Amino acid sequence: MSAAAAAIQLGGLALAPLLPGAIQSLKARLQGRRGPSPLQPYRELRRLWSKSLADPQPTTIVYRLAPCVLAATTALALLLVPVGGIVPDWGLGDDALVLVGLLVLGRFALAAASWDTGSGFALMGASRDLTLAVFAEALLTLAIVLAALPADSTGLAAMSAAANGSAIWSEPAHWCAAGAFALVVLVETGRQPIDNPDTHLELTMIHEGPLLEYAGRDLALLQWSAAARHWIVLVLAAGLFLPHWGGFGAQLAAAVAGVALLCLALAITETAQAKMRILRVPGLLAAGCLLALAGLASSLAGGLV
Amino acid sequence: MSGLEWLLWAGALLLAGGSLVPVLRRGAGAALALQGLGTALIGLAGALILFGEPALGADFSDGLSPRLGVDGLSGFFLATIAVVAVPALVYARGYLEGGPRERLTVGLAGLFIGSLILVVTARDPTTFLAGWELMTLAPAAAILAARSDATVRHAVFVYLAVTHLGGAGVWISLLALAHYGALGEPGALAAQGGAVQALVIVAALVGFGTKAGLMPMHSWLPRAHPVAPSPVSALMSGVMVKVALYGLVRVLFEWAAPAPLWAGLALLGLGLLSALGGALYALTQHDLKRLLAFSSIENVGIAALGLGASLVFAAGGEELWAAIAFGAALLHVLNHAVFKALLFLAAGTFERAAGSLDLDRLGGLLRRMPWTGGAFLVGALAIAGVPPLNGFASEWLTLQALAHAAFGPSLGVGLAAAVAAAGLAATAALAAFAFLKATGLVLLGAARRPEAAAAREAVGGMRLAPLLLAAGCIALGAVPGLLVPALMELAPQPRGLASEPSLAVPGTGSLPSPWLLLGIVALTGLLWLARGSRRAAPVPAWACGERVEPALAWTSAGFTKPLHLVLESVLRPRREVTVVRERGLVRSVAYRGEVPHLFDTALYRPARRLALRGARLARRIQSGSVRAYAAYLLALLLVLLALARTGAIG
Repeated sequence: MSAAAAAIQLGGLALAPLLPGAIQSLKARLQGRRGPSPLQPYRELRRLWSKSLADPQPTTIVYRLAPCVLAATTALALLLVPVGGIVPDWGLGDDALVLVGLLVLGRFALAAASWDTGSGFALMGASRDLTLAVFAEALLTLAIVLAALPADSTGLAAMSAAANGSAIWSEPAHWCAAGAFALVVLVETGRQPIDNPDTHLELTMIHEGPLLEYAGRDLALLQWSAAARHWIVLVLAAGLFLPHWGGFGAQLAAAVAGVALLCLALAITETAQAKMRILRVPGLLAAGCLLALAGLASSLAGGLV
Repeated sequence: MSGLEWLLWAGALLLAGGSLVPVLRRGAGAALALQGLGTALIGLAGALILFGEPALGADFSDGLSPRLGVDGLSGFFLATIAVVAVPALVYARGYLEGGPRERLTVGLAGLFIGSLILVVTARDPTTFLAGWELMTLAPAAAILAARSDATVRHAVFVYLAVTHLGGAGVWISLLALAHYGALGEPGALAAQGGAVQALVIVAALVGFGTKAGLMPMHSWLPRAHPVAPSPVSALMSGVMVKVALYGLVRVLFEWAAPAPLWAGLALLGLGLLSALGGALYALTQHDLKRLLAFSSIENVGIAALGLGASLVFAAGGEELWAAIAFGAALLHVLNHAVFKALLFLAAGTFERAAGSLDLDRLGGLLRRMPWTGGAFLVGALAIAGVPPLNGFASEWLTLQALAHAAFGPSLGVGLAAAVAAAGLAATAALAAFAFLKATGLVLLGAARRPEAAAAREAVGGMRLAPLLLAAGCIALGAVPGLLVPALMELAPQPRGLASEPSLAVPGTGSLPSPWLLLGIVALTGLLWLARGSRRAAPVPAWACGERVEPALAWTSAGFTKPLHLVLESVLRPRREVTVVRERGLVRSVAYRGEVPHLFDTALYRPARRLALRGARLARRIQSGSVRAYAAYLLALLLVLLALARTGAIG
């Protein structure tokens, strides 16, 4: 079981670019375009891998190291995410807050690289990303606390097991947690209405801003990291906050269906929703925090059932 | 005497000698070496006692005769003092050389370290209070010895005024504890009933909280820490505020124990306010040392959150988690001491090298000063709380404690802990934001001024000390699990935890820090190899086809602008734009923006105004005429007689 989960996680390192590709493809269909194939991200990665690097002047090793650090931390975070309710024993544990910490290190590295280039657009994206992170991390922590409550543990495998079955869905707290985490999914994947991954206008960029100066294999690593982030949050959302039951195989099937459903939901949101004003996003995230606290209150008060 | 006692006395003797020598005759270098050796011996003895050697010296007593002693908690704080003081003294050699009143500053630094040691080894109220006052005065003298212009004198005045006003709480709580015999016999206070206990706890929260820099009693800290010479700043931020937490721990967890639930919740509230407020104001600073000072408030707040969570757990009877939260707070105390000392020392080097601490006047120093810059980068990563460095370990443990406190069973406590957990997560994000700003503006990009472009790397001790502390950040981050069980043993109800490098805490997914470190380094290295580095084309950064000029460089204010806009109603930034026109053409535009410190404008200024108004009223009766004073005396006498007659007094 554990070996199968490990194989799926390693496969996830390779499969991750399929997720943004599928979302883009679905979105194009919804908008009546033919759009790129879901495999388009792989083609881009292959193209970038064979191109030469760019070295903006004056930069230091911080700029050159940042894509490697980001990709490394994202890969390690991916290995903490349970698949089919199991976290293989890589020696890294399976703590939810450690996973958050790894993602923060990647964000730190990329923002430091933005300072290193001194590029206005990179810094604009980085400063917006960090501003939203203040609220997003509070929200993420509350969502984790809520999901950890029935398990009495912040271990991701235990949290996934506690959400197994249908009983949990009679708890209002779980609905609130799922709602709060839905916002986290939007922030962490950089999707509309919070960020627009398709924009070519530097002034509206958040996550794409710090990537502007990079080329070649650096850019390939950064794009892969963005795709792997999709894998992390979507698989986590499916494993903790979407219905799943039974043993390893059944949970795996539920997770595949859940991730597919989430991709479709993201594509629909992106089609139906315009991008929000950046300054309005913290209000949305604060509302998510209130939702999570309401869920906690209902759980501590003994539930409404 | 046992070997450990010899070690302690030898250390004390060396430290005293090292403090006296420079005042009497020349030789600041030898004096610093003596002080460093003495502090190291004392710290070693403290660490040995922390890791299981029996406690030494006297127990606490309520009497007047001076008594000294070291137990596990004192041992931990002695080790923390040494961890900061030894690198600070190594650094001070090069930093103070040739400065004004070098020998006096060296002597005062020794006195300062000695007073810190005295506070944590005092075993009676008199010695404790003597050490406490000395600890307040010694750094003030050290600041004035090095610089004494009007702004510095004002900062020192505010420091002394606020810490003494607040410090009255320390006297009240200590003397009340001694009066009820609670120092020698914990539990004696609880027998006195809730009111006395409440008085002692509130007085201790105000008194020790002021010295620790807990908001809203923190006003002195961001003024005093930045003006001190860097080694003294490191000691003040790294250790002095922690020694105040030591006093708070003694009162809340030992002398006034068992502390009621409200004390834990109050500490959670103060800690959350300090953590969030400190991080937020750190973010808005333009001066590196002021930024570091506000970040000290934030980190003291994080330690207070851990202590508060521990009290809440203890009141709920969850002894394992009470011990874990206690260990988390102490671990953060040590971690913050290490990285804050590192950052203050590196800031001193930057100031020497580039002639300024204004964030917008530095830049590109990593290329000019790879050793100091690299150490600063490690410190910034550690204080931002990212794995696998030490700041992450203690913040992770504190966050786990708050999360588990949020699991209930009580609704109010659960919600309070959940809000604190969310606040701590936001604090960590704000701290990362602030230190990215500092790192970017100081170390990365292009130099913003010719002075920064010509900066030279430090040599000798000034280079060595930050590197030592950076190594400490990495080591403490790699194996926090070897330390936490020993810290949990210091909790009032000690609970064991397996001593292994990883932090395997029940109810969590565990923090396998050595493997995380290894994983991150190895994977980054592999990707670095895969990336290759030969075919990099040198290009200018993209600025819509414009040449990238210094005028286009991002500023400290620009980077934090989105957050300013989001939190406008909280921060209330002020900005002035002056446009000079000549015959319809704009000649120049001047921009000035600042974020006023709300606690100063909304709390301290009205309080000061009220106090001055009261003083003016009181002056009215001070006519200077002898007849009026005779009348006052007569009136007082009559009132007293009347009271005695009615039986109200006497």
